[in-house]
Amino acid sequence: MESRECKIGVYICNCGTNIAKVVDCEAVREYISELPQVAIARTYKYMCSNPGQELIIQDIKEQGLDRVVVAACSPRMHERTFRAALQTAGLNPYMFEMANIREQCSWVHDDPQAATEKAKALTQAAVFRVAYHEALEQMMVDMCPNTLVIGAGIAGLTAALELADAGQKVYLLDKQDHLGGNLARVDLTAPYLDSARDLLTERITRVKTSDNIELLLNSRLQELKGYVGNFSATLVSVDSDDTEENKAQKIEVGNVIVCTGYKEFPAERVTHFGYGKLPNVITSFDFEKMLRAGRIECKDGEIPNYVAIIHCVGSRSPEYHGYCSRVCCMTALKYVHEIKSAIPSCYVSDLYIDMHAFGKGHEDFYRRTSEVKTMFLMFGKGDHPIIRSAGPKDDCQMLIEVNEQLSGEVIEIPADLVILMVGMEAREDATETARLVNISQDKDGWFIESHPKLDPVATTTDGIYIAGTCVAPKDIPDTVAQARAAAGRILAKIAKGKIAVDAIYAEINEDSCSGCRICNELCPYSAIEFDDEKKRSHVLSVMCKACGACVAACPSGAIKGRHFTDQQMFAQIEGVLR
Amino acid sequence: MSFEPRILGILCNWCSYAGADLAGTSRIHYPPNIRVIRVMCSARVDPTFVVKALVSGADGVLICGCHPGDCHYSEGNYKTMRRIPLLKKVLTDLGIEDERVRLEWISASEGQRFADIVKDMTERIRALGPSRISAELDVDPREK
Repeated sequence: MESRECKIGVYICNCGTNIAKVVDCEAVREYISELPQVAIARTYKYMCSNPGQELIIQDIKEQGLDRVVVAACSPRMHERTFRAALQTAGLNPYMFEMANIREQCSWVHDDPQAATEKAKALTQAAVFRVAYHEALEQMMVDMCPNTLVIGAGIAGLTAALELADAGQKVYLLDKQDHLGGNLARVDLTAPYLDSARDLLTERITRVKTSDNIELLLNSRLQELKGYVGNFSATLVSVDSDDTEENKAQKIEVGNVIVCTGYKEFPAERVTHFGYGKLPNVITSFDFEKMLRAGRIECKDGEIPNYVAIIHCVGSRSPEYHGYCSRVCCMTALKYVHEIKSAIPSCYVSDLYIDMHAFGKGHEDFYRRTSEVKTMFLMFGKGDHPIIRSAGPKDDCQMLIEVNEQLSGEVIEIPADLVILMVGMEAREDATETARLVNISQDKDGWFIESHPKLDPVATTTDGIYIAGTCVAPKDIPDTVAQARAAAGRILAKIAKGKIAVDAIYAEINEDSCSGCRICNELCPYSAIEFDDEKKRSHVLSVMCKACGACVAACPSGAIKGRHFTDQQMFAQIEGVLR
Repeated sequence: MSFEPRILGILCNWCSYAGADLAGTSRIHYPPNIRVIRVMCSARVDPTFVVKALVSGADGVLICGCHPGDCHYSEGNYKTMRRIPLLKKVLTDLGIEDERVRLEWISASEGQRFADIVKDMTERIRALGPSRISAELDVDPREK
């Protein structure tokens, strides 16, 4: 590799002990400081902290550094943070490279020597690469102030109102013919026993009368094109197929909030509770329907004397979903209160694995429920209660056998009605939605946040936000908080009027372009145009998303992938393998 | 001393690199023989990157992208899917064993899968021995 004149500052982060307990950061520093272009190499306990960033800023100013490498966590975590630090110091933010020595080194290797050698190689690769970095200017584009909100449950309604109340235009889309989503199927809410209908009605009325909200019911997103600030969405009626273009409506939006919610776990997947066979074994949603109709009854219309509630149906199980659905425990306690209030003589048993009462007011609610004479029975994970039909001599419909954990005894309890607390799962159309708006799903199908702790409503696609139970199971307060957060993030962006788009895109050197047009067809965004007069192709940089497919394909080597140039990649490969 | 292969990983930013990061946050351990660089899309993987890696001393190259249908750029991985087998054909003609270059799909949620693939590939290449090119190099690159 040819030597380039530059002054590189290298900062190796200990990340407390996260990196330093496996990687000998001082040894990495010593090794790196001997590379000819490295002007300064330091280790520090937390590079992302204010003093850590200050260290970089000061060195840039005082030592005249022209490039910076930080060896720390994943660039997906803090690349933006450090780029901003460079900018503060007056250096172009692209004169920066990160070496991932935490997620891809110290956290996955336990041999300190091998991990240290690998950290040296990764940091060296970043140094070699950054030597070829070029200052790139970000483009400022207009931010369209309109927002598309997908899903009109409690999250979508809340987000739409937040934006509309601030004077911004919102398109509120739902596949169903009514507003309210899953919450519209619920009677009372836990732990304060206020009505879900009351929560919704006020919002629905305001949404329907708002001048800023355009409601699009029975509709779905067919296509989303463009980029942050400048999306073009095609919406169609749910019953139309993809060929009926005449019915499609095109709208321009700057941002999108996805709040498509969840679907309930299908109880028929669990065969051992007899759902679908025993007529009085129902799901929590079947029960909500009864509550909303105002009459709790068995299949034959009789009022039940005994009701049993079984928790974690489909949740916290290796066979179905490993996760906890978060809302079922409190919903079960809510049922106890609703049953006791409707049928005071009814005997209620609550069969649980663990009682998850983590939220505000939940422990109090649990205590209050115990006080209304509920029989709580704890069963073991994988040791589920067994339900069978009762005999003619019994005064109940069914008998449930529980291997009760706290007493250590096998207990048999009567039941006329059994409620299965079904958990939440990702909607069947979640994959389609994810593809349409270009976001990812985790192993359970939930949408993935930009950062689970620090950036919970943004996604890896700029301008696409997620809120509510399409991200993971959550209760109403958390859902509403996320919806407002997403709306707030968007309002902040709208307030700025313009938005900086990434300076990374492909460029065609017209002198080297042979006009073969291979790249034209390759581009998934139709960002490459052919100039018929010049017989050369050129990239419409705003449309380019910088995947680099054309760069790798150009037979003349005429296309340069900015920030991922051949030279930069070669230098990095050389550095990492030395 | 036993042979420790050097493997270059070229991972797409959106799925595979995130998957490798997830292996980290989940503390799923795998052999340190792999060293990863990042591209935005596996479609950016120019065949010359692989050649460059082999002549720079890599005993193996692992290219990872999003699962078909899941590409952040809608269809970049389909290009990779066609390109890499062609490259492998050329490389095998040149006497470089087929197993040294491997293409895998890893999603952002597949930390375990990434670790398993790295483990498997490291074992296979360890059994295969040094690459012809990296053996012929046999110079301390730092003296170059």
